[in-house]
Amino acid sequence: MLRKLSPYLYVLPILSFIAVFTYIPIATSINLSFREWDFLSSTKPFVGFDNYKLLLSSTEFWNSVKVTAIFAVISVPIRLALALVLASLLTSEKFASRMLRGAFFLPSVTSTVSIAVVFSWIFATDYGTANAIITAFGAEKVPWMQDPNLALFVIILVNTWKQIGYDIVIYIAGLQAIPTELYDAAAVDGGRRFHVFRRVTMPLVMPTTYFLLVISVIEAFQVFTIVNVMTDGGPANATDMIVNMLYRVGFTLFDIGTGSALAVMLFILLIALSLIKSRVLGRRVHYEA
Amino acid sequence: MKLEKPFISGLALFGGLLFLSPALYSIWLSFQTADAYYAGGLEFTLDNYGRAVGHYHFARYLLNSVIVSGIVTLGGITMATLAAYAFARFRFVGSDLLFGATVATLMIPSHISLIPNYLTLADAGLLDSYAGLILPALASAFATFFLRQYIRGIPRSLDEAAYMDGASSIQVLWRVIVPLSKPAILSMALYIFIGEWNSYIWPLVAIGKSDLYTLQIGLARLYRINPGEDLIDWPLVMAASTISILPVLLGFALVERHLVRGITMGAVK
Repeated sequence: MLRKLSPYLYVLPILSFIAVFTYIPIATSINLSFREWDFLSSTKPFVGFDNYKLLLSSTEFWNSVKVTAIFAVISVPIRLALALVLASLLTSEKFASRMLRGAFFLPSVTSTVSIAVVFSWIFATDYGTANAIITAFGAEKVPWMQDPNLALFVIILVNTWKQIGYDIVIYIAGLQAIPTELYDAAAVDGGRRFHVFRRVTMPLVMPTTYFLLVISVIEAFQVFTIVNVMTDGGPANATDMIVNMLYRVGFTLFDIGTGSALAVMLFILLIALSLIKSRVLGRRVHYEA
Repeated sequence: MKLEKPFISGLALFGGLLFLSPALYSIWLSFQTADAYYAGGLEFTLDNYGRAVGHYHFARYLLNSVIVSGIVTLGGITMATLAAYAFARFRFVGSDLLFGATVATLMIPSHISLIPNYLTLADAGLLDSYAGLILPALASAFATFFLRQYIRGIPRSLDEAAYMDGASSIQVLWRVIVPLSKPAILSMALYIFIGEWNSYIWPLVAIGKSDLYTLQIGLARLYRINPGEDLIDWPLVMAASTISILPVLLGFALVERHLVRGITMGAVK
Protein backbone atom coordinates (compact mmCIF):
# COMPACT_ATOMS: atom_id res chain seq x y z
CA MET A 1 0.00 0.00 0.00
CA LEU A 2 2.68 2.46 1.08
CA ARG A 3 4.60 1.46 -2.01
CA LYS A 4 1.70 2.61 -4.21
CA LEU A 5 1.31 5.85 -2.32
CA SER A 6 4.92 6.88 -2.00
CA PRO A 7 5.31 8.56 -5.45
CA TYR A 8 2.39 10.81 -4.55
CA LEU A 9 4.10 11.75 -1.30
CA TYR A 10 7.26 12.68 -3.25
CA VAL A 11 5.47 15.03 -5.63
CA LEU A 12 3.02 16.42 -3.08
CA PRO A 13 5.24 19.16 -1.57
CA ILE A 14 6.24 20.82 -4.81
CA LEU A 15 2.80 20.45 -6.34
CA SER A 16 1.15 22.09 -3.32
CA PHE A 17 3.45 25.08 -3.66
CA ILE A 18 2.87 25.26 -7.41
CA ALA A 19 -0.89 25.11 -6.88
CA VAL A 20 -0.96 27.80 -4.19
CA PHE A 21 1.57 30.21 -5.69
CA THR A 22 1.17 29.68 -9.45
CA TYR A 23 -2.10 28.07 -10.57
CA ILE A 24 -4.61 29.47 -8.08
CA PRO A 25 -3.17 33.00 -8.61
CA ILE A 26 -4.02 32.79 -12.32
CA ALA A 27 -7.67 32.23 -11.41
CA THR A 28 -7.48 34.97 -8.76
CA SER A 29 -6.02 37.43 -11.25
CA ILE A 30 -8.74 36.70 -13.81
CA ASN A 31 -11.40 37.11 -11.14
CA LEU A 32 -9.93 40.38 -9.82
CA SER A 33 -9.57 41.77 -13.35
CA PHE A 34 -13.39 41.97 -13.54
CA ARG A 35 -13.67 43.81 -10.23
CA GLU A 36 -12.95 47.18 -8.75
CA TRP A 37 -10.84 47.13 -5.61
CA ASP A 38 -8.21 49.20 -3.79
CA PHE A 39 -6.82 46.57 -1.33
CA LEU A 40 -8.73 48.15 1.54
CA SER A 41 -12.48 48.41 0.98
CA SER A 42 -14.55 45.46 2.13
CA THR A 43 -16.42 45.04 -1.16
CA LYS A 44 -15.08 44.16 -4.60
CA PRO A 45 -17.91 45.11 -6.98
CA PHE A 46 -18.09 43.26 -10.30
CA VAL A 47 -17.52 45.69 -13.18
CA GLY A 48 -17.40 43.40 -16.22
CA PHE A 49 -14.85 44.40 -18.83
CA ASP A 50 -14.54 47.97 -17.53
CA ASN A 51 -10.91 47.53 -16.42
CA TYR A 52 -9.94 46.17 -19.82
CA LYS A 53 -11.82 48.96 -21.61
CA LEU A 54 -10.17 51.55 -19.38
CA LEU A 55 -6.73 50.15 -20.18
CA LEU A 56 -7.32 49.89 -23.90
CA SER A 57 -8.47 53.50 -24.04
CA SER A 58 -5.67 54.93 -21.87
CA THR A 59 -2.63 56.63 -23.38
CA GLU A 60 -0.55 55.26 -20.50
CA PHE A 61 -1.20 51.67 -21.56
CA TRP A 62 -0.42 52.29 -25.22
CA ASN A 63 2.67 54.23 -24.22
CA SER A 64 4.00 51.24 -22.28
CA VAL A 65 3.14 48.91 -25.17
CA LYS A 66 5.02 51.25 -27.49
CA VAL A 67 8.05 51.51 -25.18
CA THR A 68 8.16 47.73 -24.75
CA ALA A 69 7.84 47.21 -28.52
CA ILE A 70 10.65 49.69 -29.27
CA PHE A 71 12.78 47.96 -26.65
CA ALA A 72 12.17 44.55 -28.27
CA VAL A 73 12.59 45.73 -31.87
CA ILE A 74 15.93 47.40 -31.12
CA SER A 75 17.45 45.14 -28.51
CA VAL A 76 16.60 41.69 -29.85
CA PRO A 77 18.30 41.94 -33.30
CA ILE A 78 21.36 43.62 -31.76
CA ARG A 79 21.66 40.88 -29.14
CA LEU A 80 21.26 38.04 -31.60
CA ALA A 81 23.64 39.45 -34.22
CA LEU A 82 26.33 40.31 -31.68
CA ALA A 83 25.95 37.00 -29.87
CA LEU A 84 26.19 34.94 -33.06
CA VAL A 85 29.33 36.73 -34.24
CA LEU A 86 30.98 36.47 -30.81
CA ALA A 87 29.91 32.85 -30.37
CA SER A 88 31.37 31.83 -33.71
CA LEU A 89 34.70 33.36 -32.62
CA LEU A 90 34.58 31.58 -29.26
CA THR A 91 33.71 27.97 -30.06
CA SER A 92 37.22 26.66 -29.39
CA GLU A 93 38.05 25.11 -26.02
CA LYS A 94 41.34 27.02 -25.79
CA PHE A 95 42.03 28.92 -22.58
CA ALA A 96 41.63 32.39 -24.09
CA SER A 97 38.27 31.62 -25.60
CA ARG A 98 36.96 29.91 -22.46
CA MET A 99 38.07 32.87 -20.35
CA LEU A 100 36.38 35.35 -22.65
CA ARG A 101 33.19 33.25 -22.60
CA GLY A 102 33.30 33.39 -18.79
CA ALA A 103 33.71 37.17 -18.90
CA PHE A 104 30.69 37.56 -21.16
CA PHE A 105 28.63 35.18 -19.05
CA LEU A 106 29.41 36.80 -15.70
CA PRO A 107 26.85 39.66 -15.87
CA SER A 108 23.99 37.24 -16.51
CA VAL A 109 24.46 35.70 -13.05
CA THR A 110 25.15 39.03 -11.37
CA SER A 111 22.52 40.93 -9.45
CA THR A 112 20.45 43.11 -11.79
CA VAL A 113 20.10 45.74 -9.07
CA SER A 114 23.89 46.05 -8.80
CA ILE A 115 24.22 46.29 -12.56
CA ALA A 116 21.52 48.96 -12.70
CA VAL A 117 23.18 50.93 -9.91
CA VAL A 118 26.62 50.71 -11.51
CA PHE A 119 25.30 51.92 -14.87
CA SER A 120 23.32 54.69 -13.15
CA TRP A 121 26.70 55.95 -12.00
CA ILE A 122 28.35 55.44 -15.40
CA PHE A 123 25.58 57.43 -17.10
CA ALA A 124 25.09 60.04 -14.36
CA THR A 125 25.16 63.53 -15.84
CA ASP A 126 27.57 64.89 -13.23
CA TYR A 127 30.54 62.79 -12.11
CA GLY A 128 29.50 59.92 -14.40
CA THR A 129 32.12 58.01 -16.36
CA ALA A 130 30.43 58.30 -19.77
CA ASN A 131 30.36 62.08 -19.53
CA ALA A 132 33.89 62.18 -18.12
CA ILE A 133 35.05 60.37 -21.25
CA ILE A 134 33.17 62.47 -23.77
CA THR A 135 34.01 65.79 -22.09
CA ALA A 136 37.68 64.76 -22.20
CA PHE A 137 37.26 64.81 -25.98
CA GLY A 138 35.76 68.28 -25.78
CA ALA A 139 32.08 67.33 -26.13
CA GLU A 140 29.26 68.73 -23.99
CA LYS A 141 27.84 66.73 -21.08
CA VAL A 142 24.89 64.57 -22.13
CA PRO A 143 21.92 64.12 -19.74
CA TRP A 144 21.67 60.39 -20.55
CA MET A 145 18.97 59.47 -18.09
CA GLN A 146 17.08 62.74 -18.09
CA ASP A 147 16.56 62.95 -21.85
CA PRO A 148 13.39 61.05 -22.87
CA ASN A 149 14.99 60.19 -26.21
CA LEU A 150 18.12 58.70 -24.68
CA ALA A 151 16.96 56.99 -21.49
CA LEU A 152 15.43 53.99 -23.27
CA PHE A 153 18.63 53.43 -25.21
CA VAL A 154 20.62 53.40 -22.00
CA ILE A 155 18.20 50.80 -20.63
CA ILE A 156 18.60 48.73 -23.81
CA LEU A 157 22.38 48.96 -23.57
CA VAL A 158 22.41 47.83 -19.95
CA ASN A 159 20.04 44.95 -20.66
CA THR A 160 22.16 43.86 -23.63
CA TRP A 161 25.29 43.94 -21.50
CA LYS A 162 23.61 41.76 -18.92
CA GLN A 163 22.04 39.22 -21.28
CA ILE A 164 24.52 38.81 -24.12
CA GLY A 165 26.55 36.13 -22.31
CA TYR A 166 23.52 33.86 -22.08
CA ASP A 167 22.85 34.29 -25.80
CA ILE A 168 26.49 33.49 -26.56
CA VAL A 169 26.45 30.31 -24.46
CA ILE A 170 23.29 29.09 -26.20
CA TYR A 171 24.72 29.91 -29.63
CA ILE A 172 27.96 28.09 -28.83
CA ALA A 173 25.97 24.97 -27.94
CA GLY A 174 24.14 25.33 -31.27
CA LEU A 175 27.35 25.86 -33.21
CA GLN A 176 29.13 22.93 -31.60
CA ALA A 177 26.26 20.68 -32.71
CA ILE A 178 26.97 21.43 -36.38
CA PRO A 179 28.92 18.48 -37.86
CA THR A 180 32.45 19.57 -38.78
CA GLU A 181 32.22 17.62 -42.08
CA LEU A 182 29.92 20.32 -43.34
CA TYR A 183 32.63 22.92 -42.80
CA ASP A 184 35.22 20.65 -44.38
CA ALA A 185 32.96 20.19 -47.40
CA ALA A 186 32.48 23.93 -47.69
CA ALA A 187 36.25 24.44 -47.40
CA VAL A 188 36.88 21.89 -50.16
CA ASP A 189 34.43 23.81 -52.32
CA GLY A 190 36.66 26.82 -51.77
CA GLY A 191 34.15 28.76 -49.69
CA ARG A 192 35.50 31.94 -48.21
CA ARG A 193 35.04 32.48 -44.50
CA PHE A 194 32.18 34.97 -44.74
CA HIS A 195 30.55 32.85 -47.42
CA VAL A 196 30.74 29.74 -45.23
CA PHE A 197 29.30 31.73 -42.33
CA ARG A 198 26.35 32.87 -44.43
CA ARG A 199 25.67 29.64 -46.33
CA VAL A 200 26.53 27.00 -43.74
CA THR A 201 26.59 28.44 -40.23
CA MET A 202 23.61 30.79 -40.33
CA PRO A 203 21.06 28.36 -41.79
CA LEU A 204 22.18 25.57 -39.49
CA VAL A 205 21.89 27.61 -36.30
CA MET A 206 18.44 28.83 -37.38
CA PRO A 207 16.63 26.76 -34.71
CA THR A 208 18.89 28.33 -32.05
CA THR A 209 18.26 31.80 -33.47
CA TYR A 210 14.56 31.14 -33.42
CA PHE A 211 14.69 29.92 -29.82
CA LEU A 212 16.68 32.98 -28.70
CA LEU A 213 14.41 35.30 -30.67
CA VAL A 214 11.29 34.10 -28.90
CA ILE A 215 12.99 33.90 -25.50
CA SER A 216 14.30 37.45 -25.74
CA VAL A 217 10.98 38.87 -26.94
CA ILE A 218 9.31 37.17 -23.96
CA GLU A 219 12.00 38.67 -21.72
CA ALA A 220 11.44 42.13 -23.18
CA PHE A 221 7.87 41.93 -21.94
CA GLN A 222 9.12 41.11 -18.44
CA VAL A 223 11.88 43.69 -17.96
CA PHE A 224 11.40 45.37 -14.62
CA THR A 225 14.41 45.64 -12.33
CA ILE A 226 16.65 47.75 -14.59
CA VAL A 227 13.83 50.20 -15.29
CA ASN A 228 12.65 50.35 -11.71
CA VAL A 229 16.11 51.11 -10.34
CA MET A 230 17.50 53.33 -13.11
CA THR A 231 14.57 55.49 -14.19
CA ASP A 232 11.38 54.30 -12.48
CA GLY A 233 9.73 54.56 -15.90
CA GLY A 234 10.78 58.17 -16.46
CA PRO A 235 11.59 60.69 -17.74
CA ALA A 236 8.02 61.49 -18.86
CA ASN A 237 7.19 57.73 -19.05
CA ALA A 238 9.80 57.26 -21.80
CA THR A 239 10.99 53.99 -20.22
CA ASP A 240 7.69 52.85 -18.71
CA MET A 241 7.78 49.23 -19.85
CA ILE A 242 4.73 47.02 -19.26
CA VAL A 243 5.76 45.33 -16.01
CA ASN A 244 6.83 48.68 -14.57
CA MET A 245 3.35 50.00 -15.33
CA LEU A 246 1.85 46.87 -13.75
CA TYR A 247 3.86 47.47 -10.58
CA ARG A 248 2.84 51.13 -10.44
CA VAL A 249 -0.86 50.47 -11.03
CA GLY A 250 -0.97 47.60 -8.54
CA PHE A 251 1.40 48.65 -5.80
CA THR A 252 1.57 52.45 -5.83
CA LEU A 253 -1.91 53.34 -7.12
CA PHE A 254 -3.49 50.23 -5.50
CA ASP A 255 -5.84 49.82 -8.44
CA ILE A 256 -6.07 46.04 -8.17
CA GLY A 257 -8.71 45.56 -10.87
CA THR A 258 -6.78 47.42 -13.56
CA GLY A 259 -3.48 45.92 -12.45
CA SER A 260 -4.97 42.43 -12.70
CA ALA A 261 -6.45 43.16 -16.13
CA LEU A 262 -3.01 44.25 -17.31
CA ALA A 263 -1.44 41.11 -15.81
CA VAL A 264 -4.01 38.88 -17.53
CA MET A 265 -3.45 40.49 -20.94
CA LEU A 266 0.29 40.17 -20.60
CA PHE A 267 -0.15 36.57 -19.45
CA ILE A 268 -2.19 35.66 -22.54
CA LEU A 269 0.33 37.30 -24.84
CA LEU A 270 3.32 35.54 -23.27
CA ILE A 271 1.62 32.14 -23.20
CA ALA A 272 0.81 32.57 -26.90
CA LEU A 273 4.47 33.35 -27.61
CA SER A 274 5.59 30.32 -25.60
CA LEU A 275 3.21 28.06 -27.48
CA ILE A 276 4.49 29.35 -30.82
CA LYS A 277 7.99 28.62 -29.56
CA SER A 278 7.31 25.00 -28.60
CA ARG A 279 5.22 24.33 -31.75
CA VAL A 280 7.74 25.61 -34.24
CA LEU A 281 10.77 24.32 -32.37
CA GLY A 282 9.11 20.93 -31.92
CA ARG A 283 8.64 20.70 -35.67
CA ARG A 284 12.24 21.76 -36.32
CA VAL A 285 13.60 19.07 -34.07
CA HIS A 286 11.53 16.43 -35.85
CA TYR A 287 12.74 17.58 -39.25
CA GLU A 288 16.31 17.14 -38.21
CA ALA A 289 15.87 13.81 -36.46
CA MET B 1 41.68 27.18 -33.59
CA LYS B 2 41.50 30.90 -34.12
CA LEU B 3 42.49 31.98 -30.64
CA GLU B 4 45.90 30.41 -30.13
CA LYS B 5 48.58 33.01 -30.81
CA PRO B 6 49.76 35.08 -27.84
CA PHE B 7 48.67 38.24 -29.60
CA ILE B 8 45.14 36.90 -29.95
CA SER B 9 45.15 35.74 -26.32
CA GLY B 10 46.21 39.21 -25.25
CA LEU B 11 43.45 40.69 -27.37
CA ALA B 12 40.93 38.30 -25.77
CA LEU B 13 42.12 39.27 -22.29
CA PHE B 14 41.82 42.95 -23.18
CA GLY B 15 38.35 42.39 -24.68
CA GLY B 16 37.16 40.57 -21.57
CA LEU B 17 38.49 43.25 -19.24
CA LEU B 18 36.99 45.99 -21.41
CA PHE B 19 33.61 44.23 -21.37
CA LEU B 20 33.70 43.89 -17.59
CA SER B 21 35.22 47.33 -17.05
CA PRO B 22 32.02 48.98 -15.73
CA ALA B 23 31.86 46.38 -12.95
CA LEU B 24 35.62 46.41 -12.28
CA TYR B 25 35.69 50.20 -12.23
CA SER B 26 32.79 50.26 -9.74
CA ILE B 27 34.78 48.01 -7.38
CA TRP B 28 37.80 50.32 -7.80
CA LEU B 29 35.59 53.32 -6.95
CA SER B 30 34.30 51.60 -3.81
CA PHE B 31 37.79 51.96 -2.26
CA GLN B 32 38.02 55.72 -2.84
CA THR B 33 36.93 58.61 -0.68
CA ALA B 34 33.95 60.56 -1.97
CA ASP B 35 35.58 63.93 -1.30
CA ALA B 36 38.62 63.14 -3.40
CA TYR B 37 36.47 61.62 -6.14
CA TYR B 38 34.30 64.72 -6.47
CA ALA B 39 37.37 66.96 -6.38
CA GLY B 40 38.88 64.95 -9.21
CA GLY B 41 41.56 63.39 -7.01
CA LEU B 42 42.35 59.90 -5.82
CA GLU B 43 42.49 58.78 -2.20
CA PHE B 44 41.95 55.25 -0.91
CA THR B 45 39.90 54.15 2.08
CA LEU B 46 37.98 51.19 3.51
CA ASP B 47 35.58 53.58 5.17
CA ASN B 48 32.84 53.06 2.53
CA TYR B 49 32.61 49.39 3.50
CA GLY B 50 32.57 50.30 7.18
CA ARG B 51 29.73 52.75 6.70
CA ALA B 52 27.76 50.43 4.40
CA VAL B 53 28.01 47.52 6.83
CA GLY B 54 27.49 49.58 9.97
CA HIS B 55 25.54 52.77 9.58
CA TYR B 56 23.60 51.64 6.50
CA HIS B 57 22.79 48.15 7.86
CA PHE B 58 24.27 46.09 5.04
CA ALA B 59 25.46 43.50 7.55
CA ARG B 60 21.81 42.93 8.39
CA TYR B 61 20.76 42.84 4.72
CA LEU B 62 23.56 40.38 4.01
CA LEU B 63 22.31 38.17 6.84
CA ASN B 64 18.73 38.39 5.52
CA SER B 65 19.85 37.45 2.01
CA VAL B 66 21.89 34.52 3.31
CA ILE B 67 18.98 33.22 5.42
CA VAL B 68 16.35 33.61 2.70
CA SER B 69 18.45 32.31 -0.19
CA GLY B 70 19.83 29.50 1.97
CA ILE B 71 16.41 28.24 3.03
CA VAL B 72 14.95 28.63 -0.46
CA THR B 73 17.88 26.64 -1.88
CA LEU B 74 17.67 23.83 0.69
CA GLY B 75 13.88 23.56 0.58
CA GLY B 76 13.69 24.03 -3.17
CA ILE B 77 16.32 21.46 -4.07
CA THR B 78 14.81 18.92 -1.65
CA MET B 79 11.33 19.25 -3.11
CA ALA B 80 12.66 19.24 -6.67
CA THR B 81 14.76 16.12 -6.09
CA LEU B 82 11.86 14.23 -4.50
CA ALA B 83 9.50 15.14 -7.34
CA ALA B 84 12.13 14.49 -10.03
CA TYR B 85 12.74 11.02 -8.56
CA ALA B 86 9.04 10.19 -8.59
CA PHE B 87 8.58 11.45 -12.16
CA ALA B 88 11.68 9.65 -13.41
CA ARG B 89 11.12 6.29 -11.77
CA PHE B 90 7.41 5.67 -11.10
CA ARG B 91 4.38 5.47 -13.30
CA PHE B 92 1.34 6.33 -11.25
CA VAL B 93 -2.18 7.47 -12.03
CA GLY B 94 -1.90 11.07 -13.19
CA SER B 95 1.91 11.09 -13.35
CA ASP B 96 2.03 12.48 -16.90
CA LEU B 97 -0.57 15.11 -16.08
CA LEU B 98 1.21 16.18 -12.88
CA PHE B 99 4.59 16.32 -14.61
CA GLY B 100 3.00 18.36 -17.41
CA ALA B 101 1.49 20.73 -14.86
CA THR B 102 4.89 21.18 -13.23
CA VAL B 103 6.78 21.83 -16.47
CA ALA B 104 4.02 24.11 -17.81
CA THR B 105 4.79 26.59 -15.02
CA LEU B 106 8.05 27.35 -16.86
CA MET B 107 5.90 29.09 -19.47
CA ILE B 108 3.85 31.04 -16.96
CA PRO B 109 5.24 34.54 -16.43
CA SER B 110 5.72 35.21 -12.73
CA HIS B 111 4.09 38.66 -12.70
CA ILE B 112 0.60 37.10 -13.07
CA SER B 113 0.91 35.86 -9.49
CA LEU B 114 2.34 39.09 -8.06
CA ILE B 115 -0.92 40.65 -6.82
CA PRO B 116 -2.58 37.34 -5.81
CA ASN B 117 0.48 36.17 -3.87
CA TYR B 118 0.61 39.49 -2.09
CA LEU B 119 -3.03 38.98 -1.08
CA THR B 120 -2.45 35.35 -0.03
CA LEU B 121 0.43 36.30 2.24
CA ALA B 122 -1.40 39.34 3.60
CA ASP B 123 -4.32 37.06 4.55
CA ALA B 124 -1.90 34.66 6.22
CA GLY B 125 -0.25 37.57 8.05
CA LEU B 126 3.09 36.69 6.48
CA LEU B 127 4.00 39.92 4.75
CA ASP B 128 7.07 41.45 6.35
CA SER B 129 8.46 38.10 7.43
CA TYR B 130 11.10 35.64 6.24
CA ALA B 131 8.33 33.15 5.50
CA GLY B 132 6.71 35.67 3.18
CA LEU B 133 9.91 35.96 1.20
CA ILE B 134 10.60 32.23 1.17
CA LEU B 135 7.30 30.43 0.57
CA PRO B 136 6.43 31.75 -2.93
CA ALA B 137 9.99 31.06 -4.13
CA LEU B 138 10.29 27.42 -3.04
CA ALA B 139 8.99 25.49 -6.04
CA SER B 140 11.57 25.20 -8.82
CA ALA B 141 10.00 23.63 -11.89
CA PHE B 142 13.22 23.98 -13.84
CA ALA B 143 15.25 22.05 -11.27
CA THR B 144 12.55 19.37 -11.20
CA PHE B 145 12.61 19.02 -14.97
CA PHE B 146 16.41 19.04 -15.18
CA LEU B 147 16.88 16.49 -12.39
CA ARG B 148 14.19 14.22 -13.79
CA GLN B 149 16.05 14.11 -17.13
CA TYR B 150 19.28 13.45 -15.27
CA ILE B 151 17.85 10.65 -13.10
CA ARG B 152 16.38 8.95 -16.17
CA GLY B 153 19.93 8.59 -17.42
CA ILE B 154 20.93 6.50 -14.39
CA PRO B 155 20.56 2.75 -15.14
CA ARG B 156 17.49 1.25 -13.46
CA SER B 157 19.43 -1.93 -12.72
CA LEU B 158 21.10 -0.06 -9.85
CA ASP B 159 17.69 0.66 -8.27
CA GLU B 160 16.64 -2.94 -8.76
CA ALA B 161 19.76 -4.31 -7.09
CA ALA B 162 18.99 -2.16 -4.06
CA TYR B 163 15.34 -3.28 -4.00
CA MET B 164 16.59 -6.89 -4.05
CA ASP B 165 18.55 -6.10 -0.91
CA GLY B 166 15.29 -5.03 0.69
CA ALA B 167 15.64 -1.27 0.35
CA SER B 168 12.55 0.96 0.32
CA SER B 169 11.99 3.55 -2.38
CA ILE B 170 13.18 6.41 -0.17
CA GLN B 171 16.35 4.43 0.63
CA VAL B 172 16.92 3.91 -3.09
CA LEU B 173 16.61 7.67 -3.57
CA TRP B 174 18.98 8.45 -0.73
CA ARG B 175 21.56 5.68 -1.24
CA VAL B 176 21.54 5.27 -5.04
CA ILE B 177 20.02 8.20 -6.88
CA VAL B 178 21.26 11.16 -4.82
CA PRO B 179 24.93 10.07 -4.71
CA LEU B 180 24.91 9.48 -8.47
CA SER B 181 23.16 12.79 -9.20
CA LYS B 182 25.39 14.93 -7.02
CA PRO B 183 26.81 17.16 -9.79
CA ALA B 184 23.34 17.79 -11.21
CA ILE B 185 21.86 18.47 -7.75
CA LEU B 186 24.70 20.83 -6.89
CA SER B 187 24.43 22.84 -10.06
CA MET B 188 20.65 23.12 -9.67
CA ALA B 189 21.09 24.17 -6.03
CA LEU B 190 23.43 26.93 -7.14
CA TYR B 191 21.02 27.88 -9.93
CA ILE B 192 18.23 28.27 -7.35
CA PHE B 193 20.53 30.14 -4.97
CA ILE B 194 21.66 32.68 -7.57
CA GLY B 195 18.08 33.25 -8.74
CA GLU B 196 16.86 33.87 -5.21
CA TRP B 197 19.87 35.99 -4.22
CA ASN B 198 19.21 38.32 -7.15
CA SER B 199 15.41 38.38 -6.91
CA TYR B 200 13.98 41.86 -6.67
CA ILE B 201 10.31 42.40 -7.50
CA TRP B 202 8.90 39.98 -4.92
CA PRO B 203 10.94 41.27 -1.92
CA LEU B 204 10.08 44.77 -3.13
CA VAL B 205 6.34 44.17 -2.70
CA ALA B 206 6.46 41.73 0.23
CA ILE B 207 8.77 43.65 2.57
CA GLY B 208 8.18 47.08 4.08
CA LYS B 209 10.24 46.86 7.27
CA SER B 210 13.86 47.80 6.67
CA ASP B 211 14.96 45.11 9.17
CA LEU B 212 13.98 42.49 6.61
CA TYR B 213 15.40 44.07 3.47
CA THR B 214 17.46 41.75 1.34
CA LEU B 215 20.68 43.10 -0.19
CA GLN B 216 18.96 43.92 -3.46
CA ILE B 217 16.25 45.99 -1.80
CA GLY B 218 18.76 47.63 0.53
CA LEU B 219 20.99 48.56 -2.39
CA ALA B 220 18.15 49.96 -4.49
CA ARG B 221 16.96 52.02 -1.50
CA LEU B 222 20.46 53.25 -0.68
CA TYR B 223 20.87 54.47 -4.24
CA ARG B 224 17.44 56.07 -4.43
CA ILE B 225 17.27 57.78 -1.05
CA ASN B 226 20.91 58.63 -0.76
CA PRO B 227 22.38 60.95 1.85
CA GLY B 228 23.97 64.14 0.59
CA GLU B 229 20.82 65.38 -1.20
CA ASP B 230 21.85 66.30 -4.73
CA LEU B 231 25.27 64.67 -4.63
CA ILE B 232 24.98 60.89 -4.56
CA ASP B 233 27.73 59.27 -2.49
CA TRP B 234 28.82 56.98 -5.33
CA PRO B 235 31.78 55.35 -3.55
CA LEU B 236 29.45 54.31 -0.70
CA VAL B 237 26.86 52.96 -3.16
CA MET B 238 29.56 51.01 -5.00
CA ALA B 239 30.80 49.48 -1.75
CA ALA B 240 27.25 48.29 -1.06
CA SER B 241 26.96 47.00 -4.63
CA THR B 242 30.23 45.08 -4.30
CA ILE B 243 29.00 43.48 -1.08
CA SER B 244 25.87 42.30 -2.86
CA ILE B 245 27.61 40.73 -5.88
CA LEU B 246 30.61 39.03 -4.26
CA PRO B 247 28.84 35.92 -2.89
CA VAL B 248 27.33 35.21 -6.29
CA LEU B 249 30.70 35.57 -8.00
CA LEU B 250 32.08 32.96 -5.60
CA GLY B 251 29.05 30.77 -6.30
CA PHE B 252 29.58 31.18 -10.02
CA ALA B 253 33.15 29.93 -9.72
CA LEU B 254 31.69 26.82 -8.03
CA VAL B 255 28.94 26.32 -10.61
CA GLU B 256 31.40 26.41 -13.47
CA ARG B 257 33.55 23.73 -11.90
CA HIS B 258 30.60 21.48 -11.06
CA LEU B 259 28.98 21.98 -14.42
CA VAL B 260 32.19 20.96 -16.14
CA ARG B 261 32.54 17.94 -13.85
CA GLY B 262 28.93 16.94 -14.52
CA ILE B 263 29.43 17.17 -18.25
CA THR B 264 32.66 15.15 -18.26
CA MET B 265 31.07 12.49 -16.03
CA GLY B 266 28.24 12.17 -18.52
CA ALA B 267 30.74 11.82 -21.34
CA VAL B 268 32.66 9.02 -19.59
CA LYS B 269 29.51 6.97 -19.00
